[in-house]
Amino acid sequence: MADSREPPPLFNDDKEDDNDDLFSSAVQSPVSEQTTTPEDQRSPEDPLTPPPPAASLTPEPHNPGTPPDLFESVAEGPVVVQGGSPKLSSVPLDLPAGGNGGEGKQQPTFFPTPLQEVSLEEEGDEPDIFDTMSSPKLQLNQDTSEPPVPPSSILPPMGAPLTPPVVPITPTATPSLTPNITPAAPTPVTPVAVARSSPEQAEGDGGDEFIQITVSDPQKIGDGMSSYMAYKVTTKTNVSYFRKKHWSVMRRFSDFLGLHRKLVEKHLHSGRVIPPAPEKSAIGTTKIKLGSDKNADSGSLDFIERRRAALERYMNRTSTHPTLRADPDFREFVELDAELPRATQTSALSSAGVLRLLNRVGETVNKMTFKMDESDQWFEERTQQIESLDAQLRKLHASMERLVNYRRELALSTAAFAKATAVLSSVEEHSSLSRALHQLSESTERTQTIHHAQADADFYVLSENTKDYIQLISAVKDVFHERVKTFQTWQHAQITLAKKREAKAKAELAGRMDKVQQAQEEVTEWEGKVERSQEEFERISRAIKKEMEQFDVMRVKDFRDMVIKYLEDLMTSQQQIIKVWETFIPEAKAIS
Amino acid sequence: MAPILFQDGMEDVLPSETNGTKSGRSDTVDLNDSTLQVDISDALSEREKVKFTVHTKTTLPDYAKPEFSVVRQHEEFIWLHDRFDENEDYAGYIIPPPPPRPDFDASREKLQKLGEGEGSMTKEEFSKMKQELEAEYLATFKKTVAMHEVFLTRLAQHTVFRNDHNFKVFLEYEQDLSVRTKNKKEKVEGLFKSFNKSTDEILLAATQKDVDDYFEREKTFLLEYHMAIKDATTKADKMTQAHKSVADSYIQLSSGLSQLGTIEGPRLEKFINKVADTFEKARKVEGRVSSDEDLKLSDTLRYYVRDGSAAKDLLYRRLRCLANYEQANKNLDRARAKNKDVHAAELAQQNACEKFEHISNKAKEELNDLKARRVTAFKKNLIELAELELKHAKAQAQLLKSCLQSLPEE
Repeated sequence: MADSREPPPLFNDDKEDDNDDLFSSAVQSPVSEQTTTPEDQRSPEDPLTPPPPAASLTPEPHNPGTPPDLFESVAEGPVVVQGGSPKLSSVPLDLPAGGNGGEGKQQPTFFPTPLQEVSLEEEGDEPDIFDTMSSPKLQLNQDTSEPPVPPSSILPPMGAPLTPPVVPITPTATPSLTPNITPAAPTPVTPVAVARSSPEQAEGDGGDEFIQITVSDPQKIGDGMSSYMAYKVTTKTNVSYFRKKHWSVMRRFSDFLGLHRKLVEKHLHSGRVIPPAPEKSAIGTTKIKLGSDKNADSGSLDFIERRRAALERYMNRTSTHPTLRADPDFREFVELDAELPRATQTSALSSAGVLRLLNRVGETVNKMTFKMDESDQWFEERTQQIESLDAQLRKLHASMERLVNYRRELALSTAAFAKATAVLSSVEEHSSLSRALHQLSESTERTQTIHHAQADADFYVLSENTKDYIQLISAVKDVFHERVKTFQTWQHAQITLAKKREAKAKAELAGRMDKVQQAQEEVTEWEGKVERSQEEFERISRAIKKEMEQFDVMRVKDFRDMVIKYLEDLMTSQQQIIKVWETFIPEAKAIS
Repeated sequence: MAPILFQDGMEDVLPSETNGTKSGRSDTVDLNDSTLQVDISDALSEREKVKFTVHTKTTLPDYAKPEFSVVRQHEEFIWLHDRFDENEDYAGYIIPPPPPRPDFDASREKLQKLGEGEGSMTKEEFSKMKQELEAEYLATFKKTVAMHEVFLTRLAQHTVFRNDHNFKVFLEYEQDLSVRTKNKKEKVEGLFKSFNKSTDEILLAATQKDVDDYFEREKTFLLEYHMAIKDATTKADKMTQAHKSVADSYIQLSSGLSQLGTIEGPRLEKFINKVADTFEKARKVEGRVSSDEDLKLSDTLRYYVRDGSAAKDLLYRRLRCLANYEQANKNLDRARAKNKDVHAAELAQQNACEKFEHISNKAKEELNDLKARRVTAFKKNLIELAELELKHAKAQAQLLKSCLQSLPEE
């Protein structure tokens, strides 16, 4: 089926490609067909499923360009498929992962398995979504992460499908996305990946699943110290588990923070990288609170705009992550029409806030003092890389801020010059020179606008995104640290087990039968704990690895996109400047 | 500071004035068959001082040799200017403004700051910034040489000034002119004199009514214009400075990106390196935009600030002359009334009258000349500025376009 590899060689382990169709077409029937034959998977893409699935597969080939979301890229695949709903049914799930082996597993259930988080696995409903998504996704992810895996191998159906979390449909496509997501699936990587992807995909990755969130209309509600800024959160999506396709809700800043906190609580220990939320800013907020609408000076307007943009980026990042997207708290956040219960715990001065602060301090100390015995080379390398990346990004960000400042200064001084030239032109008595000077003043005025716009681009495209990245890297470091904590727990359990064993041996020697009994119980208990914590540790390690792959893909893509967009902006500015000067030259020549 | 030899690269740096005058001179040459060509063929920078080698080529008979050179310092240029300024015979002329003092303070400060910050940047970055600073220093140096040269060439091509005795001495005298910088007393004297002059100016402006409408208008115009152009010059300077800062900050961006590239590894490295390279090139273009703006725009404005100042001086002198004339008239009337010293008063009055008329005529000519010169210079420089800006913007756009095209589509 290699040839059928129309879709980009994404065949990542997940082999979602087969699944491309999966989701889109009738999962049921075709699924069986498809799933049954691993080969089918391959070819089914084309033959089996109506073109769309295949299309989905192919179209997706790295839709790097598509959704800017981190995870979206993966989703692209699915998106394509959308059209091919029919495919879904039929193809359902070719389950790209070839793993269809699980055929039954994946497809049939259209994701019967309860995605753990992904309640979205509506499975059948959204076959399209998932299908397209899955398959293409595979491609996407695959490309980046691994060499195409032969379809058959992709879906380790056996293992994977079974795992509930593996929402069958999506798994194929999304494998790349959130392979690690399925925490509960310690199954072999590929299958798991596949499986995982499904849940995730089902969630939204489905490739065809498309979710786009915009944050707009910042409004000040209330007055004085009790006032706050509310933002309109508009969601456009075709994800199945959302009730509507397009709607808005009003949310306040603390709601966003509350969401973030809940997501962290739920997912951090599974090894997921949770996109960080924008920071609180006491000064900016107080200024807004106390200022009236009318005299909102440019400083606070700027602050509001920055925050709005940051919130939008945050929401989009979070929604790209398949697992997070399916999280009920997230869904409630974007969907619930009423006001959310006040996330009072996000307030800095609340008791919870103080507790959090203390916790954080403790953790920081822990981070610094505990040196884990790293047995895994991969982690060793990655940790170092993350550290140096962090340092380098910070430096880069500082120089970007300098650029922004200088360019803003340039815009200001150009404006001042334009005014001075206008004055000069009015004083000048030679008429054509005066006219030319007037034109010069206007041209400079126009260049000033261009510079100002460019400074904004510098800021929003380059500087803020880099800052986001720095924060994301902190989130990654947090995840790594979670792993370290798990390791600590495991070690601790081991030590305790040894102690208990010792105690038991002593009791045996002393012939204290009652104590022995008790000691035996304790030993068993701790043996269990050791096993569990080891499992936990390994699970989180695997999960992190997958997350990191995803993260890398996303990071690389985002960075490229950011730089390309910035260069395009620069180029446009220059072209505008060209026009300005071109119109000026004849005027200058006209001086008699 | 290490001496910087400045060779013949100067031609391109000369502002339009010189070029104009050079061609003008060639015309005069044909007519009068007397050439007086002055230029600064070399310049040396030694610590605080700059030594200019003034080179003269002439066919005028009064000069001992047809071609010769002397070494002069900035103070000697000022001395020459002051001699012209004080000379009453030249009261009706606009005295070419003296060149500004060579000022390398800004560059020196920046170099120092760079040295202090050396530890915080990579070697590459440091050497790039150092190069930039050195280029800046060189540009400032070239500019100051050009301005000194313009001053001399204007004198040399002026039909009256070129025959001035002091000018000849300046050009010929091989020894040091021993123009010591004014000691304290003389400085105070100088300050006092200029203070007097400005109060006198104000007084005259307030009390002396000009008989000639033309001059009255000119005065008002010049005053207004002077303020406006001074303001424009300051703003233009700030603008070019800001532009330069933007260009310089690209350096750090570029090197930061390259470092990121090495960390990122093969996936992004090529991409990043291309981008870093583009920024480096863009930086050079932006830097050139800034320096061209400086040269064509700011310098033109600045020159006319100074020329305008000289014109104002001319008007002041004329006004003073008028005041003197009127005073002489009054004296004559008084003398006639008292009937003593009539003849002396008559003579004085006649003198004052002649002087005044002579000045008025000359002044009219000079002012018109100034206007024409200004318009031409502005035209030329504005056109050149626009063309250069266009060229650079096109270059940058092209650079960015080719970078975007070449970025490997993953």
